[in-house]
Amino acid sequence: MTTQTPTRPESDQAVEKKIARVRELYATGPEVGKTALETLIRELKSGSSRREPATRMSSAGRVGSRQGKVSELLFIVPFAPGGAERLRALLELRNGDFSDTDRVGTVHDMRFVFLDNDTKLLFATAYDGEWDPYIGDFAATIPDGLDVLFSACEGWPGIRNPEVKDWIAKYQIPAVGWYVAHPDLTVRDIQRLKRIGKAAEEFLDKIQ
Amino acid sequence: MLSIKESAGETLSMRAPALETSDIQATVLRPRPKPYCGEYVVLRIGNAEQGREMLRRVLPHIAPADEWWAPSALGWLGIAFTFEGLKALGVPQASLDSFPIEFRQGMAARAAILHDFGANAPANWEYPFGTPDVHVALAIYAKGNQDLQEVLEIARKSHHDLPQIAVVYRMAFGELPEGRNPFGFKDGLHNPHVEGSGPAATTREEPSIKPGEFVMGYPDERGETANVPIPLELRRNGTFVAIRKFYMDVAAFRKYLRAQASSPEEEELLAAKMVGRWRSGAPLVLTPDHDDPSLGGDANRNNNFRYADDKKGLKCPFSAHIRRVNPRDALKDDVVATNLHHFLRRGTNYGSPLPDGVLEDDGAERGGVFLLIGAHLQRQFEFVQSQWVTDGNFISHGTEQDPLIGNNDGEGVFTIPKVPVRRRLQGLPSFVSVRGGEYCFMPGLRALRWIADLKPMMEADDVRSR
Repeated sequence: MTTQTPTRPESDQAVEKKIARVRELYATGPEVGKTALETLIRELKSGSSRREPATRMSSAGRVGSRQGKVSELLFIVPFAPGGAERLRALLELRNGDFSDTDRVGTVHDMRFVFLDNDTKLLFATAYDGEWDPYIGDFAATIPDGLDVLFSACEGWPGIRNPEVKDWIAKYQIPAVGWYVAHPDLTVRDIQRLKRIGKAAEEFLDKIQ
Repeated sequence: MLSIKESAGETLSMRAPALETSDIQATVLRPRPKPYCGEYVVLRIGNAEQGREMLRRVLPHIAPADEWWAPSALGWLGIAFTFEGLKALGVPQASLDSFPIEFRQGMAARAAILHDFGANAPANWEYPFGTPDVHVALAIYAKGNQDLQEVLEIARKSHHDLPQIAVVYRMAFGELPEGRNPFGFKDGLHNPHVEGSGPAATTREEPSIKPGEFVMGYPDERGETANVPIPLELRRNGTFVAIRKFYMDVAAFRKYLRAQASSPEEEELLAAKMVGRWRSGAPLVLTPDHDDPSLGGDANRNNNFRYADDKKGLKCPFSAHIRRVNPRDALKDDVVATNLHHFLRRGTNYGSPLPDGVLEDDGAERGGVFLLIGAHLQRQFEFVQSQWVTDGNFISHGTEQDPLIGNNDGEGVFTIPKVPVRRRLQGLPSFVSVRGGEYCFMPGLRALRWIADLKPMMEADDVRSR
């Protein structure tokens, strides 16, 4: 949470160099892409999209990317024998109910995608800050919630095993591009703003 | 003052292996004497054999935790080494490589994690902190100045004829009137109780913490026993120390309170809300509206509380200093395991007090030096500093930092829960600045002997085999 990402405006020269490179690459691609690129470059160079974004991508922990307070983690890992079947049955049992994850308080979303004819799992999540400092806490407070999911994966050492950090890092793939609507808001910030918004609406209802 | 709760717990829980208190340094397990004075001395070792000779001479004077305050002792001496110091002493490479990454990097290199930016950045630290010149840190405590001088003389004699041992830093410390810190608060009232270190000195509701959290060689809260650094002879009964030297801007603190409050009583209340205790040490949770000096002075009561009855923070704000650094039961519904984030805190004050009522800074250096001791720097000191002191997300307070020791920059906020409307103080400056810091390894006494007896060019294989 603590490492904020200062936004540093890029020099015009550096931007022009990148534009030249992307033009060159798109020139060898389909015509629709080439035309679309020119529109995008015009937009980037003028008007509202010229302003600096609140955050730029930086790194989250050892592997992932980060926008402001929000980090991304994605890994693709082979299923253990029978793992796909087990995890599918478990997720069907859950039927979309992950309310126990609320307790973590820092997870924006999670998705479980089965790849290549149920031989690999793609797991992707957006979360606040860093997971690394909390891994020992997860092992102490919610070990079963994690082991029941990821024991479907090949070589999952168990959340209590200190090697779990290396296991995750081994399969993790950082995002090259990533959009976050509110990089300045954590899950807890959103919960707080929802409470304040609700109270404000109630107040306005009363005084109208 | 043997606690009834403690003895009852002992019979029920699995008995921990008794701590080898005769091999553990006194600084780790025992509170500083009262009253106290002392000095921190930093040495630089230019030659390994001279460094080991110095260590051999000083070793008989290093206080173990069992005889930490024997009537015959003049004072007590503690010793710890930075990574650079261990290198300079000729500790074998295989041992050096086995130390945790944060210790090998040192505190200055961890600035981004620790939020040591701006005025707190290592570039602004006092020499020699954060430079490779810090090798050995000596902490000398005594009851009075005469004893202190005699212990200092012992320390001096350990290296006076060794030209490659240089004193690069000396800093005197001493107790302020009534045992208060420069801000005027009685502090040092809480430390976790280490299981197996003897009965708790005071009554407390908090459970004892497994010794492996604080001393290597014993099971910790995760049921694990440290297996690095190697060899066992080096790590057994050793631990790590995060040293932090703070400057405390007492005038800024007083001026800020004056500006925010409309009466002296309100100033006191705001100050207590920031700290979580009144000046006497009385906790807000037990006396939310006014100070209670008899409670503050009663060691059996002033640390015997939880936050279960203050879930909305109406008595002690979520953001109060003591509720952040030691949340007790306040976070028990979260995924955080607070028992993994304790350290032992040994604080000392330096400088003269700013006279009562003075609002203008006199330019004098004053503050505290803290030794934050634990076997796991990453999940203890670094976790508390990065997640609880310099951030507010864990208590749903956004980026709000600790009002007292956070790295606030004049735009800090402090939220005080209140009904019907919370109060939020704005524009908090930094009341505390980091003057320096180091990560040190504080070995057990036999381990000190092991280092002192290292032979030049010791084969690394001797170490690996254990």
